[in-house]
This record gives sequence, C-alpha cells and structure tokens, in this order.
Amino acid sequence: MRDFPRAPIPFARTGGLARLEGSLPLLVLLVGGGSLPLIGDSYLGVIATRACIYWVLIAGLNLVVGFAGQIAIGWVALLTLGAYVTSVLTAGSVVPEQSPYLALAIAALFGALFGGVVGLPALRLRTFYFAMTTLGFATILTQVALAWKTVTGGGVGVPGPVFPWPFSSPWGFYYFCLGLALFATWMTANIAASRFGRSLVAIRDAEVAAEAVGIAKPRLLMTVFLFSGALAGVAGGLFASLQSYITPDAFTFDLSVLFFIAILIGGRGSILGPLLGTIILTALPEFAAPLVAWSTFLYAALLLVIVLVVPGGIADMLDFRNRRPLVQHRQVRPQPELIARVIDRDAPSNLLALEGLSLSFGGVRAIDNLDLEIRSGEVHGLIGPNGSGKTTTLNVISGYYAPQQGQVLLNGKRLQRAPHTRAKHRIARTFQTPRLVGAASVRDNVMIGGTTDGRASFVESLLSLPRHRREEARLLAATATALATVGLDPLASVRSDRLQHGELRFVEIARALMLRPRFLLLDEPAAGLSGEEIKRMGALIVAISRQGTGVLLVEHHADLIFDICDRVTVLNLGRVLASGRPEEIRAHREVISAYLGA
Amino acid sequence: MLLSIVSYGLALGAVYALIGITYNVMFAASRVFSFTAGTVGMLGGVFGALFIARLGMPVAAGFLLSLAAGALLGVITEVLTVRPVLKSLDQHLYVLSTLAFALMIQQLTAILWSTEPQPFPRLLPISPGVFDQQFWMPLLACATTILGLELLYRHTLVGRAFLAIAEDNYSARALGLPEKGLRIASYALAGVIAALAGFTGGEMMLAYFGNGPLLNFYGFVPVALGGMGSSRGAVAGGLALGLFQQAANFLVGGIFASVAVFAVFIIVLLVRPEGLAGAATARRV
Amino acid sequence: MRKSVRINRRQALVGSAASAAALAAGVCRPAIAASEPIRIGYLPALTGPSSSTGIGINRGTALAVEEINKAGGINGRQIELIVRDTQSDPTKAVNAATELTRRHKVHVIWGPLNSGEALAATPLIARDGVPQMHPCWVDALTDVKKYPLAFRNAPTNQQIGGAANHYVVDILKANKVAVISDTTGYGTASLDAYVPMLKKIGASVVYQGSVESNNPDLKPELLRMQAAGAEAIMPWSVNAGFLSRIINTRADLAWDVPIVGQTTLGSGQTRALLRKQEYWEKVYPNNFRNCSYNAAGELPPRTVEFVERIRKAGIEMADTLLWWIALGYDGPRLMADAIRAAGSAPEEITGYWNKVSEWPGVYGTITWTPELHDGFQANEIVMCQANSLKEGAFTLAPGYIG
Repeated sequence: MRDFPRAPIPFARTGGLARLEGSLPLLVLLVGGGSLPLIGDSYLGVIATRACIYWVLIAGLNLVVGFAGQIAIGWVALLTLGAYVTSVLTAGSVVPEQSPYLALAIAALFGALFGGVVGLPALRLRTFYFAMTTLGFATILTQVALAWKTVTGGGVGVPGPVFPWPFSSPWGFYYFCLGLALFATWMTANIAASRFGRSLVAIRDAEVAAEAVGIAKPRLLMTVFLFSGALAGVAGGLFASLQSYITPDAFTFDLSVLFFIAILIGGRGSILGPLLGTIILTALPEFAAPLVAWSTFLYAALLLVIVLVVPGGIADMLDFRNRRPLVQHRQVRPQPELIARVIDRDAPSNLLALEGLSLSFGGVRAIDNLDLEIRSGEVHGLIGPNGSGKTTTLNVISGYYAPQQGQVLLNGKRLQRAPHTRAKHRIARTFQTPRLVGAASVRDNVMIGGTTDGRASFVESLLSLPRHRREEARLLAATATALATVGLDPLASVRSDRLQHGELRFVEIARALMLRPRFLLLDEPAAGLSGEEIKRMGALIVAISRQGTGVLLVEHHADLIFDICDRVTVLNLGRVLASGRPEEIRAHREVISAYLGA
Repeated sequence: MLLSIVSYGLALGAVYALIGITYNVMFAASRVFSFTAGTVGMLGGVFGALFIARLGMPVAAGFLLSLAAGALLGVITEVLTVRPVLKSLDQHLYVLSTLAFALMIQQLTAILWSTEPQPFPRLLPISPGVFDQQFWMPLLACATTILGLELLYRHTLVGRAFLAIAEDNYSARALGLPEKGLRIASYALAGVIAALAGFTGGEMMLAYFGNGPLLNFYGFVPVALGGMGSSRGAVAGGLALGLFQQAANFLVGGIFASVAVFAVFIIVLLVRPEGLAGAATARRV
Repeated sequence: MRKSVRINRRQALVGSAASAAALAAGVCRPAIAASEPIRIGYLPALTGPSSSTGIGINRGTALAVEEINKAGGINGRQIELIVRDTQSDPTKAVNAATELTRRHKVHVIWGPLNSGEALAATPLIARDGVPQMHPCWVDALTDVKKYPLAFRNAPTNQQIGGAANHYVVDILKANKVAVISDTTGYGTASLDAYVPMLKKIGASVVYQGSVESNNPDLKPELLRMQAAGAEAIMPWSVNAGFLSRIINTRADLAWDVPIVGQTTLGSGQTRALLRKQEYWEKVYPNNFRNCSYNAAGELPPRTVEFVERIRKAGIEMADTLLWWIALGYDGPRLMADAIRAAGSAPEEITGYWNKVSEWPGVYGTITWTPELHDGFQANEIVMCQANSLKEGAFTLAPGYIG
C-alpha cells in the first residue's frame, strides 16, 4: 500500500497553464477567426460569419444545455424573435426606423424576456416534459410570425437590418460578428469558471447535494435562461442581417437541432468543445454539396455516435490531462491538524434538537416520536439495523422531508422544510452514496461547498469584475486548505469519477468543511474504507468536533462508533431503543439482541 | 360542421391516444420516454402507403407488414438507443439517443420517400360516407389495443411479468425474470401499437415524414396531461385533445388551432406538473 | 489538355432522369476553344414543397444549355451551368446565391424560380452586382432602382391576377369569392395582392386565408367557404398536394363551384394526386397563349416545333406543364443571345437586355426597357380548362375570349 508523496499545499490554480487553458477558446477564435480574411475567399467569410453568429447563440445556450443540463431543444424560437424584432425595428414600416445597434439591444431585451418564459417550465417539469414544451414554444413563435402579417409580413417576410459603415461590407460585418462572438466566449468562460458555472453543473449532476450546499435552483436557472435568451436575441438580429431577408421558413427545426447537437458533440460543461462543435457543424455541409440535403441526418447520426461512444464529446476527447494514469492502491492520509485553518473555534455553543419527530411513508412508520440532541463539540452516533430510520432522520434534519409531527430546532428556532437554507445555518452533510459531479475535478467539487460564501453577482462574474476575482482567489485558497486537511490535495485536479470509492467519501467531507459547519451530518462515511482509513477518518471527525462542530454520525462500523462518539443513540423500527454514553449502550441488553449481537 | 368536428376529433384523438399508449408501454418497460414513439407512428402511415399503394400489395398483407416493421423499429430502438444508455450513470442521455435516432429515421424518410405528403390508399372498398372508415378504424384500433393490453397485463403471465419489471426492476430480476428479453418484447409491442396508430390514421394524416414530430408532440400531450403510466388517462387525454384541436381548427383556423393546443399544454403542465390524473412523483433522496 | 467543363455537383434528388442525363451529356464536352466558359448560376427548387416549378423548368433549361453547347457554345465559349437546389427554402436560396456569386463568380444568375426564395436572394444578388433573370411573379421582385440588374421573363402577379379575377367575376359571374393560398412568400403575397384587386372590380371576398401546404385536412376551410356562400374558389399555391386536396375536398363535399387560379392546378403532378379523374372538371387554371390549343385545336407553330424537339430529346411532359418547360428553355437562350451580342460583363448583359424588344420566346414574347424589367405581355395570359391537358398544353376555358 503506497502512500502518496506529501506535497506542500499547492498554489492556487490561477496562473500560467490554467489561465492558458481557460483562454483556449478565446485564442482559437481570435487566431483562427482573425486570420481568415488573409485567405481572401469571401464565400468562406460568409460561412465564418454564420459560424460566429451561431456561436453567439450557442455560447449562451451552452450554459443552459451543457452546464445546467436542461434539454432545451426548441431554442430557434429565440433566434426567430431576435431576427424579427431587429428587422421590424430597422424597417421603419411598423414603428419609426431605429438604429440597427439600438434594435440589436432591444432584441437582446426581448430575447431575455422570452428566454425566461421558455425556461419557466424547467423549474417544474422533468427533462422530457420540458424538452417538449420548448418544441411547443418554437412552433408557436413560427405560427405567430406567419399569422401576424401586419408586423412580420407573414409568409412574405421582411428585409433584415443593414449595419452602417464599417460593418456594411461583408468583411466588415464578419469582424463585427467575430467581435461579438469573442465577447460571448469571454463572458461564458467567465461564468464557467465562477461559482455560477460550478453551481449549474452541480444542479445538473448532483442536484440533491447542490441543495445541501445552499444552491437555489430556481433563481440560478432563471438567471441563466435570461442571459442565454439575450444572447440568442442578439444572434437573431445578426442572422437577419446576414440573410438580408427573413421569412418564417428560415427558422426551421433543423436549426434548433444544429444548435443543440453542437453543444452535445462538443461536450457538456465545456466552452471549447461546443465552440469546435459549432465550427464543425456549420462548415460540414460546405465540404460536399450533396451533404446539404443530408446534413440533419448527419448531425443526428453524429449525436447518436457521441452519446453512445463518447458521451463527454470533443471536450472529453481533448482532455489529455485526465488520461494520465493514477497511482494504484492509494491510501488517503488526512491531516487533522490543519482543521484549525478551516474552522474557527466558535465561542458560542449551539444546539440542534429533534423533538417528537414522526414521519410515515404511506403505511410505513419511518420515524416514531424521535427525540435527539446534538451539541457543539460533541460527536453523537446514530446506529441501528437497516431500515430503522437513520438516513430518514438525516434527511429530515437536512430539510428534504417535513415531519408529520414534531420539529427540528436550531438553538430554539424551528427549521423549515427547505434543504437549500441549511447551508446558511452552517449545517453540512455527506450522503450515503457519494453525490458528486463525476465529470468535474475534485477541486471543483469541493469549491461547490463554498458557494454560499460568494457575494459577487452574476453580472460581476460575467464581466470578471474585481470582487468576483477576489472571491474566487479566496475560495481557491480555502479549497486547497480543505483538501489538504482531508489528505486529497495530490488528487485535486483529477476528475472525480476516476477516484476510488473511499476517496469520494473524503471529497464529500472536504466539501462539507467548506461551509465551516456548526453541525456536520455524516451518513455512513466509513462504508467501503479500509481499516487504516477508518482509523484516520475517526481521527479527522474527532478533530472536527474539537473545533466546536457538532457531529451526527450515522454508522454501521461499531468500532468506529464506540471509539469516537461522546453519545450514542440507537434506533430500531423508527423508535429510540436506547440513548446514552457509549459504554452504557454497549452493555444494553436490548441493543445487543436487536443489533449488536453478543 | 359539428359532425365533422366530432368525427375528425375522435378519430385523430384515437390516433394520439395510441401514440400516448406507445409512450406508456415504452416507459413501463424502461423508465424512459422515447422520441421514436411518434416517428414509428409516422412510419406506420408511410409503410402502409408504400406497401399497398406503391408496391400494390393486398391490404391485409400491407397491414401486417407495416405492423411487423413497427415491431422491428421498436426493437432497434431498445437495443440501439435505450439499453446502452440505461447502463450509464447519466439518465438524461436517453433523451438524446432517442432524439438522435428519431431524427435519423425522419430525415431518411424525407429523402427516400418524399418531402411532400403522399396520399394513403383507401383500405376497404367502401365509398366515403358520414361514418367513414377513416374515422372508425382508429377508434376500433384504440379500443382493441386497450382491451388487448388489459387482457395481457391482468390475465397472462407474460403481461404480469411486464408489470413486474416496471414496478420493481431489482426484485423482478432477483426472481429470475428475464429482464432484457421482456424489455425487448415490450418495445416490440410498443412499436406495433405505434404502427397501428399511423396505419389507421393514414388516410386522415397522409403519408408524410413531417407527421413524426407532429405525432411525437400530440401523442405526448395525453401522456403528460392524463398522467404518465395511465392508459385510460392517455385515451381520455387523446380524445379530448383531438376534439379540442378540431374544434379550434374548424372554428378559428389552422394557425391559431395549433397555438391554442401548445399554449394549453404548457399552461396545464405548469399548474400541475404531474398531469391531471397522475400522482406526484416520489422523493429522490 | 485543359480540363473540360466541370460536372454539376448538386444533382436533384427528385428530378426527371431524362433531364439529368441530358444535363450530364450536354456539359461533359471537351472545350472547343481555350477560353473561359460562361458560368450561369442556376437556382431551381428541385425538392421540397414548391418543387413543381423547378422540376418542370429544369427540363427546358437542360435542353437549351445542351443545344447551345452542342452548336459550339457562345462565341466558342461553352456554358457551364452551376446548379444549386434551393430545396424550396429561402435560407438555402440565400446561401446558394452567395456561393454562386462569391465563390464561383458566375456571369449571370437564372432564378430562383419561386417567389419566396427570390424575395430573399434577389437583394443579395443585386448587392453583388450580378445580372439576374428570374420567372417569379411577385410584383416586388423587379425594381429598376433597387435591383437594376434583375429582369423578369414571366408575368407579374398583377397581370396574372387580373386575368383570373376577370374570368371569375366577369365571365363566370361569381360575385362571392373565396381566396385561399399556402403560407409561402408566393402564396401570401398573391393573396395580399388579389383580394384588393377583386374588391376593386366589384366582387365580395367572403373568405380569405393562408393554410400550410402540408395540412392534410382542408375540410374546415372549405366548409367555412361554403358557409360564407362562396361561388368560386381561387387557390394560389404551386404545391401540387395542396391544390389536389382542395379539389378532392370539393368533391367530398359534393360542392359544385368552379376552382380558378394558379397554373399548377393543371399540372400532371396535381392530376396524379386526384382521387378520381372526374374531380378535375370545372377547374380553370391560368395558362399562356403560346401553350394553349386555339379554337381549331392547334398550338402556335413555334410551340409545335418546340414540342417536336422535346419529344425527340425524350423529355417527359405528362407529369408537368408545357409552359414550365418552355420557360426553362427560353431563359438560357435569352442569356446566350445577350452574351453573344454584347459580351459577358454585367453592364454588357444588362445593356443588351434593357433594349430587348419582342424577343420571340417559345413561352412568351419578351420586351424590356430601362424603365420596365417585366418582360411578359399581359395579353398572352389566358384561362384554360384543366382536364383538357394533352401533352402539357390545354384548351381555353369555356366562355373565354379574352
């Protein structure tokens, strides 16, 4: 069994290589796109302009589909809206003629608004249902464009906006679109590397855990839909200008498919991947003329292949770093002495109390009149046979279930059934099966734990303003410390789904530590660990409690329980069988017969 | 006019209901909604036109062949797009794989069959009348399917096995039920039902590749509104949808009719995400 | 040896095999003179809902190009016809037009052949300064100021509508009219143009609506027309399926009203989709004098000769319309005449066209001036009887003298 070489607490990942990685999409666009005019083929310029325009929309949609994981298929609706708004405002036949730049800005506004409307069902509906509603919106908008003849010209259509010099020439317009594409790339890359980006991914892949660390899904999703809609509106205006004339049949289902597939081929949670995907899909039909009629078929076939073979898409294929082999048979070695740097010794004493808790599922009484107290600085063990209600109790404390009788009190105040509010009370937890974002690195997973500490707004993160950067740096430093405490700092950059099961448990603890918890709820943290690791886990938990955190430890490993707990409660069939100091419980006759054995 | 609304509405509604049942059967077998439900329905109509009108086969032969084609496509759906994805951790991949497959089929149909709606042959040599075959055939198909499924699920061992797999996958496997085989059979059955829907609705809807997304959506509405998993809800939802749509069509006109349907769909779902008849989903922690 | 004329790339997926063969045969000839070929950019809709025009016109165009090339080309230069199927999609038409003008730097563009696509593509072609000839009817598609290089060798909507409306109101004496179109640019523009024209000549429009061409069920629309007391139905669409469904539904309702409108009502494609041949009675589409049998049952001599030529070339007529083939035949020839006489630079071509007077086409006699780029004469538009279709041509409609 090899120990990992102990490295000093690593420098925060801000400089050098990391920055280069983050700016790769920008560089690709800048260098590739900027040098295109040198080739001189103005038709190539048209294709490139179209790719830039699509990318403006896809960059925004990427946050919705790639990061938040929402299956928004009918996004062409927003392109339609943006195109018509811009065209009608610059045509001067329905309202007085406006400047194309103003029209573009108004299209962004309309796009944002409608993006919010289209996104609304996502807050309530499951994946497939939501996908259907987006299709419904796309159809509605096309029909409205057809029917509202006085404004949209109906089937006849309207001329698109013309931008003044220097953007009126084909290359001039290309640079305009390229510039906007660069801007969109920069903004979305900023979001990706911010707590918003990480929160989105957390919602996508580990929604329950996201709630536990305080991420409020509705608000975050809405923000992203608004932003994405705005970008799509702008793309629509640019599209109308490129086409020079728009009719309702320009906005086909095929376009929606293209947008959606570009993101998935590129890989979710990436900026560079979808960018490359967009370029490939836009350019593909141009290589062979017969391909145009088959283009949608090819896109779909490509999507199927990606989903079945490389679900991570191009981004996954380019992720060379995560192909480097890891050392086998690793052991986790926490450094409990570092805990003082993570959690301040809290002077006031807190009390988390369960009073008369009862909860039934259908006919089954899961918890029956449960009383429990967890004090600051105390490790309280909760044991019992399978099905005795241990995890349910944790879930009630976490706020996922509301008890039918009784209440959960924090320092005398009643806690509501709202899991995402627990974080602000500094109640952290781990889960029976580790709930992590497999595609994200260990570091990113732990950073998610510190989300609620962030104060920078979405816009500040979007534009990488100073407060955002300061908070990110602080978060990185705190994460590094937490990782060092649990002994996982050497694996910080590794994708979580490559880790051993035991290591995942320590990642969850590090994530929980980011909350500087007053109370820590652990759900079978030792399951799957080796004997040595269990001892180290125990030492870590003790160190945490000595800093003032109250720990509720649900476990099956009796040795661990009796080693480190200050108090133990035994549950059986939802009821408290016994409660007291470990020595008392050990000798308790009923406990022995029901659970411990001789 | 009223007679037209009722006859068209119920008939189309029956087609939508059948597609809704297809969704349900697929879901029951795999906990997955597949975008291919409506696409196979579309192919029921296209194959019917292909076999009977273009290749000149007798009606019965064309009918059976179309159903067989539906079954085959159902099986391919399961093997190619559902099974590989069920194994992975990310559940949402099924939406993408079935969507990709459905799109491929659709585009292939557009290119190989036609981009324009083609006429569907007259099945029985009876001249058109008020109670025309294009109206009572889908209704008959729907009723037969419901009765058949009911018989299957409640009175045969195979049917009960289907239900077992749906209810509790792990226990069923522990009991030794051949999960994979049963799932393939379920999907084949779903494919047959979808093809039946497209075939009997062929004269009304014509053989057109664009019917794929249409049936996908309109077939999903009864499921969403009538509650997932409930076949009776699907039928009620389908018939209601058909009547509503045709009423809007006749009274207001094509464009507003579809807008009305979509709007009602979205609003109802926002108010009651689990559908009008469904139960709220259990907690996921 | 210099490479011979390039083979066309985007072949039609659905198109006459004869036309494809003719095209390939005509263009794969070794160059006679070592000078640059004349590149004609060609934008037909060969697939999609509005492909009936493209398929028909394509046959004539292919024949014309083949003949010209066989006869030595234009001043020794062969014609290279670069085809791009717009798939009835204005967006694809725009993409294709841009590719033709920017990448292939064509000398002249023939098409798009449908108004919806031309509405989108014409401004772009004009912006790139390429001469364009098109046969689309929507009035806005020629404008000597906005599109100085665009010329129309077919009638305008005003001319067509005038003839049809006159027939319905003045000859059939139907005062209550139902006007229905599909939702394409062509359909909606026609509807918008014809309804006021009808009202001006004293008719009352009791129904007007645009319906998607792939809508399988037109009964609601016809029932509403019937309820409003319509005495004639005027459909405007080039979609054979849509038109056939109108005719079939009229029969389903056992409703005896005349159907008067778009030429496609008479095409072989439409006939093929009718449930019974009798349904084709009392259907009166537009047609053109040069493609109609006169009282003695004869076609004009020029047309007779043309029909002979088509038959010899093995070109199918029964599933399309003669005037489309004739129009397709005339287009490239008028381009060739201009280039032969004046040169291949844009101003040379358009300079010639601006002075064309009574050019004798098979389809129509074309006259253009610098002030008017609509070349077709209104008096060459007639109404005919659909079910008199014989070898792509028709007899005049009953009561029609006009």
